[in-house]
Amino acid sequence: MPNSNGINRGSSGRGGAGTGIGAFGSGGGKHSGRTGTGGRSLTVRLNALESNEIIAKKNKALFGKAFVMNFLSSPGSGKTSLLESVVPVLKSEGLNIAVIEGDVETDLDKRRIDALNIPAYQIITNGTCHLDANMVNTSLNNLNINDADVIFIENVGNLVCPTSYNLGEDMKAVVLSVTEGDDKPLKYPAAFYKSKVMIINKTDLLPVLDSDVSKIKENALSINKELVIFETSCKRKINAEVGQVRVSDDTDDNTVRQEVIDKGILDFASFIKEKTRLKAAEFKGIGGGIYL
Amino acid sequence: MHEISVALEIIDTLEDNGYLTGVNKVDSIKLIIGRYSGIDKNYLSFAFQNINDERFKEVSLEFISNNSDEIKIEEIIVD
Repeated sequence: MPNSNGINRGSSGRGGAGTGIGAFGSGGGKHSGRTGTGGRSLTVRLNALESNEIIAKKNKALFGKAFVMNFLSSPGSGKTSLLESVVPVLKSEGLNIAVIEGDVETDLDKRRIDALNIPAYQIITNGTCHLDANMVNTSLNNLNINDADVIFIENVGNLVCPTSYNLGEDMKAVVLSVTEGDDKPLKYPAAFYKSKVMIINKTDLLPVLDSDVSKIKENALSINKELVIFETSCKRKINAEVGQVRVSDDTDDNTVRQEVIDKGILDFASFIKEKTRLKAAEFKGIGGGIYL
Repeated sequence: MHEISVALEIIDTLEDNGYLTGVNKVDSIKLIIGRYSGIDKNYLSFAFQNINDERFKEVSLEFISNNSDEIKIEEIIVD
């Protein structure tokens, strides 16, 4: 009899996801024996998130040549602002971008991405604290990624739960704003361990904070010494000698505005561009190119 | 608290691979939970106690820790 106070499977729950996997799949094998209490002991030795992994592999195949980055962070670290800053730079380099947004409620972030005139889809998790591979798989039915060179997945703002789930991405990137404290990597190590990139964001606020960027880096590298680190500001429009000038018409007051993009944003965009080139070359090399 | 989702994934994995065929009750699950897995062991135990699945109602979890990001099912004991 079901436990009336128990938890039922939500919309993200899966049933029968393990198609194509036999009873001894993924290296697992059944060896049974009797325990002292009369129970049967079964050796399993399987990834506990195997059903998610199976769908993540399907996603990876669907992503094709596109380089896919999964952003993890606390709420309010500036993930969407980072996309608003880096996407125009990548677009100006001729890359096609698509974005999958994840939030507990509302499509507010998708609306911000829509303003960039790129394909975007909003996953609303209705309370679930992370995206899983199945949610992303479903989103691909509603998002045109055929021409995408880069796909950004903005996970639910949460530095713990999203770390456990492979979505089929090429890499995870953790975003940390300087307001969050130098010790954040030590308090939430999983996100920094699993990511290949760390973006230290909101550096324009450093003059009014006690934050120590070198300490943030030291703490993060103590968890994962391979992290590639960028320091970014989505607000700073200075540093003309190193930044790239973008001239845009301001339709509100008919003035022409010169914006100098933050050097960290440009460095991050260059990193993504290079990874995109490598992914496309790899995809072509394994025969994926014949389907293009 | 994604441990509920993880608990459901564990059941899916056992089910999909045939480990629960004909099983009425799972007494214990031995899991490897890496330090960087992002899993809270207490929450995971709580999740199993509250899942609507009678087979797992009295399951006890045994954890092996290591310095990885693994979440792995090592062994189960069933009736």
